[in-house]
Amino acid sequence: MLKISHRIYFTSLLVSVTVACAADRSPTGMARIPDGVYRPFFLAQNDLKEVPVKAFCLDILPVTNGDFLEFVRANPRWRRSQVKRIFAEEPYLKNWAGDLDPGTNAPANVPVTHVSWFAAKTYAQWKGKRLPTVAEWEYAAAASPTRADGENDAGFKRQVLEWYSTPATPKLSAVGSGRTNFWGVHDLHGLVWEWVADFNNALVTGDARGDNGLDRQLFCGGGSQGARDVQDYPAFMRYGFRSSLKANYCVHNLGFRCAKDL
Amino acid sequence: MKHGPRVFAATLVVATLTGCATHSSNEAAKPSCCAASEASATFTDKSLYQTESQWATDQGKHIKLGELVGRPQIVAMFFAKCQFACPIIVNDIKRIEAALTPELRKRVGFTLVSFDAKRDTPAALAAYRLTHALPADNWTLLHGEPDNVLELAALLGVKFKEDANGQFAHSNVITILNAQGEIVHQQIGLNQDIKETVRILRQLAAK
Repeated sequence: MLKISHRIYFTSLLVSVTVACAADRSPTGMARIPDGVYRPFFLAQNDLKEVPVKAFCLDILPVTNGDFLEFVRANPRWRRSQVKRIFAEEPYLKNWAGDLDPGTNAPANVPVTHVSWFAAKTYAQWKGKRLPTVAEWEYAAAASPTRADGENDAGFKRQVLEWYSTPATPKLSAVGSGRTNFWGVHDLHGLVWEWVADFNNALVTGDARGDNGLDRQLFCGGGSQGARDVQDYPAFMRYGFRSSLKANYCVHNLGFRCAKDL
Repeated sequence: MKHGPRVFAATLVVATLTGCATHSSNEAAKPSCCAASEASATFTDKSLYQTESQWATDQGKHIKLGELVGRPQIVAMFFAKCQFACPIIVNDIKRIEAALTPELRKRVGFTLVSFDAKRDTPAALAAYRLTHALPADNWTLLHGEPDNVLELAALLGVKFKEDANGQFAHSNVITILNAQGEIVHQQIGLNQDIKETVRILRQLAAK
């Protein structure tokens, strides 16, 4: 009896959680990404080849200037003139016209950029969310429009590669203009780079002796043996880009989106 | 969702501490993102002490980093189970400590922060202090939640990653903070020449 009621209880919990996340699929909502695995692009000695990723919710769209305006309205210390340098370097929200005025260079429906990791993280907390991990982001972004695992989708890989090989344009497009991927998420590729919670987990060696060797391992020809798929240039680029960041950097084509536990 | 109870508990702790420190308990009702503006007003723009994160010491205290204000600090991140690098980092810091006169030593704080939120509980850190004979009066050992560890690492420019065996790969960095909590110097690598670090520390501590 007890066993059965437990099972029913758990099942109903599961159902309600699923519904809560699935029901939230409004344009500004989140998509439910089911349990899966992340295959790290670069494997150090003791790394798992497949990292399990628990089901989670991911924003369908990157955070926009319009969204971020609400945040700085409610949190004066994150306005451009008031932010502390330790949390955001000089170019913070540089493309905005004023503290509470994104202006014509930062339309409301365009991803917010020139934001630091600290700003992104605090925004996410303010929303009751968090930043996705590298594993979550890469797992969600591995899906093509038609397949959960886009790795074997040649057309998708070509498209992603094209974006990475196109120089950044000064004007960003609006969010949600491209096709959604298999999970119903927009713009993981093709619009802006995105902050992840553990960006500073990149570029360390598999032992505790220091982190001076890995960049050489990764970028010198022979050393790319550690890379899972040497043809996967976009993964190389994201890996290299993340490892070049510092948490208070504000970069012109680097934005973010939020995630949430189920 | 999973973090609900923990966040709640942390907020309670914040509430309690803030209540005692400032005698204005209504501040504590604000979410952490917003309460910071008042709390951090006294710290400089580049001070690490702006951060609101909560830490537990091995001596059973709950502190914010801002409570380290007032004297220069030597800060390093480590984990107790580390076989190779961390004992050397700690030894490097001891070498730095030994190079100071007893009088200057009293005016400097030594702070070790663990990467390993799971295993390095305050009790585990207390054991570490004993094993490594770290003086109680000027060495602080801190345990924090993973999110706070990640944030502090970001502030210090330290990169780290836990591997499948529960070991952490990490940068080896010893940071000097001035009395206001600003980074003034970083010694990178193991077994380095400590001359420059000691020179800067002497200067800061003499002030």
